[in-house]
Amino acid sequence: MLTVLALPLALLAMQQGIADRLAGRVSPDIAALVGELGTAAAARGLPIDPLIQKAIEGSAKGIPFERVATAVRLVAMQLDTAAGALRNGGLAADTAAIAAGAFAITAGLSGRDIAQLARSGAQVPEVTVGLRVAGTLVALGVPPSETVALVTATLQSGRPAGELLALPGLVQAQMAKGVRPAQAAAGLARAAAAQGRRGPPPARPQPPPHPEPPPRP
Amino acid sequence: MSERDFHPLVKQLLDGDITIADLPAELRAEGEEALRLLAAVDRSSVELPAVPERVMRTLVRAPKHSRPWLLAPALAAAAALVIWLGRPEPVATPAAAIVTVRFVLTAPDAHDVTVAGTFNQWDSHATPLVRIGANGLWTATITLPAGQHQYAFVVDGARWVPDPAAPAVDDGFGRRNSVLTL
Repeated sequence: MLTVLALPLALLAMQQGIADRLAGRVSPDIAALVGELGTAAAARGLPIDPLIQKAIEGSAKGIPFERVATAVRLVAMQLDTAAGALRNGGLAADTAAIAAGAFAITAGLSGRDIAQLARSGAQVPEVTVGLRVAGTLVALGVPPSETVALVTATLQSGRPAGELLALPGLVQAQMAKGVRPAQAAAGLARAAAAQGRRGPPPARPQPPPHPEPPPRP
Repeated sequence: MSERDFHPLVKQLLDGDITIADLPAELRAEGEEALRLLAAVDRSSVELPAVPERVMRTLVRAPKHSRPWLLAPALAAAAALVIWLGRPEPVATPAAAIVTVRFVLTAPDAHDVTVAGTFNQWDSHATPLVRIGANGLWTATITLPAGQHQYAFVVDGARWVPDPAAPAVDDGFGRRNSVLTL
């Protein structure tokens, strides 16, 4: 009984939260649509921020209602696809990982690619960074297969997630020398795989701790 | 960078509207020179020390709630469900860094350039770029949370231009958004 009473309240609160974020930024029609899609998405465990952002973006760019509505619905579908792919990959993903997966789909990766990245064995935060980097690499022109190979090899090499973030810059540096994006990614993937076979690099020696100050007399 | 103005087609190249392959042969050298000059600008990100992060955490710390034990059980159950459904999305991990990023655009004919994106709610007035010198170079330096951001430059309040030096994705409206992954 309590749940029956609480559910409409929760849905109302969710819609109100979305309406507050969209107030003054989008038309009432768009706000209503995002409220409806966002509430349903949240109930499925999906993030709502990408829906809100796409609606605000469309309005800021002066896009007509129908096209904004289509784009927001497409984002909702991409979030569903990403969540399903991460589940198929055996990952209990949070909303940040799902949003990263949806971005990777926007960039050109498929649900199968995302599931493959989820199976890398890395933890959710690392996979989240990996998905963002993978989307960025595809946006640079690296084909999906080479992208997945490179990000998977880097995730499995045991190196810190921060090194993932360096990959787009490394590929761009190679591209500036005339190397094709696919070749650049393949070379980096081979290096990461070799690193993985050797194991993670040794930790840097820590500086000695500061000596305790002498006790005051 | 020289003081001379670039050919209008080269300016379109710098704006990301066309590629170097779209330029006529006689303009390719000029286009390549313009791209070299643009690439020479230092746009490397800088990680700030931990102090600003601590400040940010303090700023975003959740406010204290009133006494929930005074609420009736039904309202408590409703509140629990509201909190579950309306929980904030983790935009970044707790240990996420704050990163300072410099945006650069060459737009010699522009009177006004801003950058709008997911980090400022796509507000085309929120983050203006400053013109540097007479070469049409515009820059802005802002601090962003680690994560993935999409953005575009807005030239003269009307023209949405992707960053020619950054990767870009389809924005769903027939244009391109630049991508920044920090």
